[in-house]
Amino acid sequence: MIREFHRPRDLGTALDALADAGDEGKVISGGTALVLMIEQGLVAPSVLISLDRVQDPMFSGVELAGRTLRIGGGETLSAVASHPLVRDVVPGLAEACRRVGNVRIRNRATLAGNLAESDYASDPPSVLVAHRATCRVLASGGERMVPVERLITGFYENALDEGEIIAEIHVPVPETGTRSTYVKYISRSSEDRPCVGVAVCLQTMGGTVADIRVVVGAVTGTPQIFPEVLAEATGKAATPSTWKDVAARYADLIQPLDDARGSAWYRTRLIDIMIRRALSQAAEQDTR
Amino acid sequence: MNQPPDTQASDARARVTGRLPFVLNERVPGMLHAALVRSSVPHAEIRAVDTGAAAALPGVVAVLTAEDLAVNGDPLMFGDARQDQPVLAHDRVRYVGDPVAIVLAETRRLAIEACSLVDVDYVDLPHVVDPREATSDAASLVHEAQAGNVLATWTLRHGDADAAMAGADRHYDDTYLSPPASHVPMEPHVALAQWTGDGVVILTSTQAPHVVKETVARTLRLPEEQVRVRCRDVGGAYGAKVVTTIEPVVAAAARAVGRPVRLELSRSEEFHTVCKHAARIRIRTGVRDDGRIVARIVDVLWNAGAYATNSADAAGYGMVRAPGPYHVPNVSVTSTTAYTNTVPSGPFRGAMTSQLCWAYESQIDDIAADLGIDPVEIRRINLLREGDRYPTGEIMEDLHYDEILDAVTSGLAALPPAPPVRSGHVRGTGVALVIKSTQTPSRSECLIRLDAAGGVELLIASVEIGQGAHETLRTLAAEALGVPQSGVRVHLPDTAVAPYDSLTASSRTTFAMGSAVQDAAAQLREKLRGLAAAMSGTDPSRLRNAPGGFTDPGGSRCTYEEILRHSGLDSCEAHGRWVSTGGLGSLDSNGQGSASTHWHQGGVAVEVDVELETGKVRVLRAHGACFSGRTVSPIRVRQQTDGGMIFGLGPALFEELLYEDGQITNPNLSDYMIPSMLDMPPILGGSAIEGPRGGRRELHGVGESTVPPMAPAIGNAIRAACGIRIRELPMTPERVLRALYEEAGA
Amino acid sequence: MTDIATTVSLRVNGSLEIFDIDPSEALVWTLRERLGLQSVRTTCGIGVCGSCTVIVDGKPVSGCLMLTVMADGCTVVTAEGLDATEAGAAVQKAFTDHHAFQCSFCIPAMTLAAHALLEEYPEADDDTTREYLSGNLCRCGTYPRILDAVGSLCRRANSSASGEERPA
Repeated sequence: MIREFHRPRDLGTALDALADAGDEGKVISGGTALVLMIEQGLVAPSVLISLDRVQDPMFSGVELAGRTLRIGGGETLSAVASHPLVRDVVPGLAEACRRVGNVRIRNRATLAGNLAESDYASDPPSVLVAHRATCRVLASGGERMVPVERLITGFYENALDEGEIIAEIHVPVPETGTRSTYVKYISRSSEDRPCVGVAVCLQTMGGTVADIRVVVGAVTGTPQIFPEVLAEATGKAATPSTWKDVAARYADLIQPLDDARGSAWYRTRLIDIMIRRALSQAAEQDTR
Repeated sequence: MNQPPDTQASDARARVTGRLPFVLNERVPGMLHAALVRSSVPHAEIRAVDTGAAAALPGVVAVLTAEDLAVNGDPLMFGDARQDQPVLAHDRVRYVGDPVAIVLAETRRLAIEACSLVDVDYVDLPHVVDPREATSDAASLVHEAQAGNVLATWTLRHGDADAAMAGADRHYDDTYLSPPASHVPMEPHVALAQWTGDGVVILTSTQAPHVVKETVARTLRLPEEQVRVRCRDVGGAYGAKVVTTIEPVVAAAARAVGRPVRLELSRSEEFHTVCKHAARIRIRTGVRDDGRIVARIVDVLWNAGAYATNSADAAGYGMVRAPGPYHVPNVSVTSTTAYTNTVPSGPFRGAMTSQLCWAYESQIDDIAADLGIDPVEIRRINLLREGDRYPTGEIMEDLHYDEILDAVTSGLAALPPAPPVRSGHVRGTGVALVIKSTQTPSRSECLIRLDAAGGVELLIASVEIGQGAHETLRTLAAEALGVPQSGVRVHLPDTAVAPYDSLTASSRTTFAMGSAVQDAAAQLREKLRGLAAAMSGTDPSRLRNAPGGFTDPGGSRCTYEEILRHSGLDSCEAHGRWVSTGGLGSLDSNGQGSASTHWHQGGVAVEVDVELETGKVRVLRAHGACFSGRTVSPIRVRQQTDGGMIFGLGPALFEELLYEDGQITNPNLSDYMIPSMLDMPPILGGSAIEGPRGGRRELHGVGESTVPPMAPAIGNAIRAACGIRIRELPMTPERVLRALYEEAGA
Repeated sequence: MTDIATTVSLRVNGSLEIFDIDPSEALVWTLRERLGLQSVRTTCGIGVCGSCTVIVDGKPVSGCLMLTVMADGCTVVTAEGLDATEAGAAVQKAFTDHHAFQCSFCIPAMTLAAHALLEEYPEADDDTTREYLSGNLCRCGTYPRILDAVGSLCRRANSSASGEERPA
């Protein structure tokens, strides 16, 4: 039963209200995840703090600040997907946001809310991990920067403390020669969640791999990245045989889940295939 | 764009703007909202039900168990064919979802909340989910008082299948699996019961108002005339609303508390109320080297679920439909249905046909490939034609398979081409045909009434589910009376005023109720002719039909209104009837006799794309065809042809109700997907093979003709594309990929 | 400042509605049960099917996943009010003209999604339409007629001299 509904105009007030509510409080942004959980009886907050009226500049807008693309946490997935800067600087993120749920969900769900839900099968987190994105996380006592890579810790679990709110997301502007892509593989209806999602951020120089980030989503509780495999690929020729090696190593290292969208056997094969595809697709893209 | 003349249904605007009346919208003063406490275990004895905490919740009016609803100490039992289903479980629960108690509260939310406070003490019993296991000697009994779990077995013996099989040049022996699937009507099951004096009025979203009336009366031990069932427009059904489900508990609860009660099922409850019959089909076929089928032996085992619903007869219908649309002289079919601790099964669009069509239409392509004969050609060699004897022994009339086969193959070829094939993908085409008997015997009656102002009212219990039945019947009435369609008003079903109709299913309404309406209209016209003749002193035979009246030999016209006025009548009515005889009950122990009054005939041809690395199948183009008899409405026939293919795509490619330890693991629309606009074939075509106008057989139903062939046509196209045969539905990418690996010997 | 909102004001189909509300009430419930707008329907309850699509401040959203308090101050359009604009009325007419309905449970919501599509992509081709409307499910399979209806309204179709039709 919701006793109190707060609709603060600024994040400071929101944080204070959240601190006051303690474990009875929940932050609501677009609400597409939280309302579902409330309706299904999975959570029962008595205090809701809505961020939809928050006016703080950091919570909205998309802009370049030096070598960082700053995305306000309150931006909807629709807005992120269609924003020219996002499409230009991080096309993989635009693609991932465009592929979440359906148009109605994207019109309400926010990027901060998406990260805070930490849904293993959602599309944007893998891309943000691939791009070394960081969240600015506020609490009533202060703030900290949390890499998205360390934010999601398990199935619907994350490193946020009670009383913390994701205010904005920082995506480093990729170096020249970097490509960004997201490949979503669905095994049933077009409306299904991914069986496998692969995000790639790839920088090549003179035909060799200068920097490579490959992240696989929807196959375990957290986005999967293997720095040792990527380190090995760095400096190698930017060719299909390198992509094949990376894909095979990932397929070997990931212990995927087994469900109606695909058995572990199937997902292992699809991880291999989709990584190869994502890397080839990235390598063929025009660079910025 | 050219609009067919019948495009504008009379209620089109209400449909589009959201003003269509659904039972879901109905509210009455003093009404309570109900919610059901359902079993969380697949099979158990109920030791105790503690309703105290739920009943104490403010706003909760009552929490009722089987004991509270009992009549003379007997727990209420229901079932359209066999009364084996408790209205609320008393001593046992038999599947996860079996209703145990009903909570009545001032709001729906409160009723649902209170359900979680009801504590049921179960003593678990062994459960069985797989019908094969259920029919083994060691199986635990789903119904403890019965000798075994077999609900019914039907056998058909025609010719000498064993001998013919032994003498055939080649033999094929395959097993096909068709899993349970869910209907997913967008409007859930919803019912509202209100008692007035001794009787009850039930508003319900059903396909069979008269059957619900009979079942509720039997269950509540009331004379039938004390039960009145009313419908509104139905927001989707596909068979889910053929069998009685929630009406008895709603009526019984309303009686117990003395207030109207409304129950609306949640989406999860929909998945736990009725589902498609899962089936395991072993099909053995003996063929001559020239492609002629000489023998067929089919053994099918159906999963009835925890309660009988219509499953015993359904297995009989399955038996009749098992041989396929081919002229096979020696046939043996054994069709068995067994209880298990799963959701009760019921008719599912293309009922007891899709499962079998999946087997016989898949196998015939394997036979063709083995013999080096083209898949279309092998069908032509064996097609059932006019005058052939069907395996039930009856002589077939009005068959159109040659035309249907031509229509789907040439229709597919004439569609715009799909985009060029990409590297790593392969393409193939496949066809499939289907034969489906209709519910027999059955009966449809109607009342047609002309009022003093010249308006015509049609009172029927046929249900409008969006298939356009009411518009079709209106057209037929208008045409038979010679009045404009706008002058005919079709009433929503109400068993108190609309005479008997078996059900709005089995693609029977256009044919069965349509014939009854034609009969009623013809009778009414003759009555009016008699009145007109008396009025003018003319011999009735000399009055010629004219729009809205008659003309006499002198050329002067009298209208229906004038006839009524001169005769001093406020209205004039006629009762129309259509009755079929024969059917399942009339077949002998070898399944010989007259099984169906007519036969639904359809086919589909598809082109698919298979991605070899992932196994993903995409249907690129599809063309469906059906025999439509005299087409009353081209656009509505096309809606059924297209809609059937789109509906059939789901169970073919991804729909499946999944069980783990007796629990459904995907009872929601995120984990159980239905086809979207992106899933449907982007290029679709349809043909209606028309029959002659006039005569006893002019009308024909088309509601299911393209559903069953969809899966085997896709399976055949996959085979044509990459040489693999999938024998288990749905044809998921994973199943396709595994088959590709096996084929490659990996 | 913080509002503890229990009073909500919405402009629904042009008329201002003000009422006190339990903050946990979903918009679909408010519109259907409180305001009697029966075109708004729940099928899945989890934002998948689209039967409860309504337009809030110009954008289609799932009424089942939006708390009514969060729509405070917003403009809401349901199928009952779609014909208040010429474009909305044209969508409804196209659906009736093209027989784009069967059981019709999903159709009012579908018209809202189609209207939003055409506002956002006036020149939508069939692929764009399929993608945009794929989140509105129709179990009867009326999709081909819906594509016809939407196709008749997109600017591309109307400016096309050939009057090309989708394959029949």
